[in-house]
Amino acid sequence: MNILKDIREGNDGSIVLGNHPGIVQSILDFDYISGKKEPSVMALVAGTRKAQKFFFGTQEFLLPCFKSVAAVPKSYDTRAKWMLNVQSGRRTLESTNAFFERFPAALGGHIFAENVPELHALELVERFGRTHVIAGPSGVGILVPGYLKLGAIGGVGLEQLEQGKLADPGAIAVVATSGGMTNELITSVVRAGKRVSFSLCIGGDRFPVTSLTDVLTMAEEDDATEGIVYFGELGGSDEYEIVALLKSGKLTKPIVCYVAGVIDEAFDEHMQFGHAKALVARADESARAKRDALAEAGAIAPETFTAFLKEIEKLPNSVARDTLVDIKSLMNRQKSILSTREVVDIEAVPAFVEGGKLVQQRENGFAASALEAMLGRDVSDKTAALVENIFELLLDHGGNVSGAVNTMITARAGKDMVSSLASGLLTVGPRFGGAVNEAARTWREGVASGKAAPNFVEEKTRGGNLLLGIGHLKYRVGIPDPRVAALAEFASILKKHPHYDFARAIESVTTGKNGNLILNVDGVVAALLLDMLQEEEGYSDAELQELIEAEFFNALFIIPRSVGFIAHFLEQKRNDEGLFRLPEELLFVRKDEKKTKKEMSRQREGLHGVISFRDGGL
Amino acid sequence: MSRVKLTEYRAKKILLGDSYKGISLPTGKLPEAGKWVAKVDQGVKKRFKQGLVGVGISSTDATKRMAEWKKKGFSQFLLEPFVPHKSEEEQYFSLERVREGIRMLHTKDGGVDIEAHPEAVQTHIIRKGDEASIAETSGLPADFLKRVIEDFNTHHFAFLEINPLVVQKGATHLLDAAVLVDSAGEFFVRNSWTEQDLVKTKAKHRAEEKIEELAATTPASLKLSVINSDGGLFLLLSGGGGSIVVADEVQLEGAGHLMANYGEYSGGPTQEETYLYAKEVVDLMLASKSKSKALVIAGGVANFTDVRKTFLGIIDALRESAAKLRTAGIKVFVRRGGPNEAAGLELMRDFLEKEQILGSIHGSDTVITKAIDEAIEYVRV
Repeated sequence: MNILKDIREGNDGSIVLGNHPGIVQSILDFDYISGKKEPSVMALVAGTRKAQKFFFGTQEFLLPCFKSVAAVPKSYDTRAKWMLNVQSGRRTLESTNAFFERFPAALGGHIFAENVPELHALELVERFGRTHVIAGPSGVGILVPGYLKLGAIGGVGLEQLEQGKLADPGAIAVVATSGGMTNELITSVVRAGKRVSFSLCIGGDRFPVTSLTDVLTMAEEDDATEGIVYFGELGGSDEYEIVALLKSGKLTKPIVCYVAGVIDEAFDEHMQFGHAKALVARADESARAKRDALAEAGAIAPETFTAFLKEIEKLPNSVARDTLVDIKSLMNRQKSILSTREVVDIEAVPAFVEGGKLVQQRENGFAASALEAMLGRDVSDKTAALVENIFELLLDHGGNVSGAVNTMITARAGKDMVSSLASGLLTVGPRFGGAVNEAARTWREGVASGKAAPNFVEEKTRGGNLLLGIGHLKYRVGIPDPRVAALAEFASILKKHPHYDFARAIESVTTGKNGNLILNVDGVVAALLLDMLQEEEGYSDAELQELIEAEFFNALFIIPRSVGFIAHFLEQKRNDEGLFRLPEELLFVRKDEKKTKKEMSRQREGLHGVISFRDGGL
Repeated sequence: MSRVKLTEYRAKKILLGDSYKGISLPTGKLPEAGKWVAKVDQGVKKRFKQGLVGVGISSTDATKRMAEWKKKGFSQFLLEPFVPHKSEEEQYFSLERVREGIRMLHTKDGGVDIEAHPEAVQTHIIRKGDEASIAETSGLPADFLKRVIEDFNTHHFAFLEINPLVVQKGATHLLDAAVLVDSAGEFFVRNSWTEQDLVKTKAKHRAEEKIEELAATTPASLKLSVINSDGGLFLLLSGGGGSIVVADEVQLEGAGHLMANYGEYSGGPTQEETYLYAKEVVDLMLASKSKSKALVIAGGVANFTDVRKTFLGIIDALRESAAKLRTAGIKVFVRRGGPNEAAGLELMRDFLEKEQILGSIHGSDTVITKAIDEAIEYVRV
């Protein structure tokens, strides 16, 4: 397997587990300056939102977010070749396993966390060590200049991408245990007038998934690489892997090494340095012992860092033609509120009168236009007709429903139209009008689960929960809701109507318990619209779910009922009856029991504060 | 996150369960009768040679010995029932987690000083399901080996040494045990051991304690060791690897004796966290009796730690003591690269110049050891 060749020839994408916006943005900037046409980061598996905004070049775009790797759509499979795991050490094993189970064709990844338990790291080594390239646990990732940046490697600032010449492939492989030193070495290579062929930070943990031997073998087999720069530290025995490779002739390219940690000799006892592995447990793990062994085996291993840099200068030089990067234009980019589409075509002005005559318009034109604006796609006549019917039926349902009452009370308090309408709309919720969306969620879940209606009802109503879309205060079996009956006719013009059928099946279960538990307007609107969108507009299950998550279905109530509320407002303004006050006898049912303050306090003492009465003073 | 020492008491409690009769002191209750082994339980190597073990003694004698050890600065002791045995019954046994599995070192024949006779040690690599065959070749009781390996994995052990292990007709006694656990495993061991069971090292410098407390409250990495409180070279280093390179330079230049502290901040600490960290180093520096002092702010080219943000924190700490630093003739030498490097360096330069404490200042276009070299020269003159 020659992974570097794959990377340089392909257009591989990555999926990020967790979120580290700084690192993700730096990868996108790297893609852009490397001349890629599309971002390499395909999605985040993180959090509860659907997308997060990033820049690709100077343009903002939405990077999709998914709740789990299992939820990433199939369409990602061909390009998703890399994992960038920035989750905590506790979750690393589980999330890495889940990623490679979901994407068996993936090539590898990077694990950013520093506190991965040794046992977990070893399980990852066993599972993926032979077959995949995984940088870490810990460290900063993998870099193939011009092709792939997986992690913080090479820095996250725009100037750093330019300074490290990350868009320009070269001939020097940079390998280090330390993240900071990986970047220091990339900078040093560039300062010496050379460019990097690839860089992999194996991390400072004890058990890196991809071992030093694996990385150096990659470098040896890579045609682009002519020399290797390595930084290691005291502790552990990785450097003996280099010694073994050199001695067995498996590593023939020049390798310049620095093993840090002679400072340990200044202390009475061996000290634990920053990285987990950086502690001398045996004599042969000291910086000096490892450096001497490397030098003896034929590596270039100077004593001081300055001498080390001098040796880097002597490594072969590849011809580099640097990409000119306009960093300035990227640095001045501005974040904005994202709106990706025009809701309506502002250029297209409808003409209703031409040549002194009315022009024949599209049937149910307003419903169709409203729907198209909301959904962002054209709709069929059938769908437009259903929505027109819904709009007309839901326009108003009398002045005694709670939203209308609030509108009227507000109007009579002398408020304006918007305030009155708003107070009516603010009443819309689970018990009034706002149940359409929840009903849609219930029917969708029911159809998707394939469960039998009685079991579904049993599960859903356990613990006294209500089924939204079912039940009415006034109508019951024998007194059907005429609006439901009218809408139900739409089922007859559809080939299939699984949601409507499911809703009816539920109704037959619930009415068996109570005659009032009939399919109500919210329920039938939700069911028929789901069926209509699926059959007529080609909505997939996932797209329907997306509409539910966005609360689209409640719009079918809010739009027409706003008209109804305005009508009630206008009527109140016409009548101008003055401030409304609820008659006292309606509110204070025990008004005659009202007592004097003295009596009340006596009563309180007697009842130890467990009294319940209403004070009429407010 | 690393391998850390577990107390011998907790290690044996995990390995032996309720059958373990050891008593941890000073928390436990002193027994009245019987023959005992008393020892210091603070992860000290070569305890016996240092006179930190008392064998076959009474409870009263043990109390006397512990009082002596207390005077030497130790605080954690262990009392175990004395197990009479012959020296040929003693074996050496250790396990270490390695990439290939678990490396077992063992001496079949008893009573061997393994340091003097490394050739007597047999090495085995134990992979999953290997325990039975290795028990056979090594001659160790099979049920003992199986149970120990199981505990080794369940409790996230990284290293276990039993020396001596006494084997008497199939029965095993763990006379002395040393265990290193993987600190990253704490979450997964369900309280079989906790932070409380880790070995308390000798009394720390107050500044080290304060940084440890601070480090416990942030995902960033903050470490500090005071080496010579009257030293002249004070280090504010960043990055796990870069900090060693800078410290190495001190050692290679033969200036190890001047080094006052070692440590590093990394992993993107906030301005406030960097301020608190820098303040400890500045306070140490002002307290040092050295005639000539310098502060080195150095590190590699950071990947994601923001240079400007962390420098603002350091400047906050320096500003508080600027007058004192100037009076003491302290100069500050800087070398740093990374995100917002130019802005960070400019802020630092302006500040140090204004306060007249600028030694030198360098960015990622110079070698990482530049600042420390100049500081060593300044302190030596």
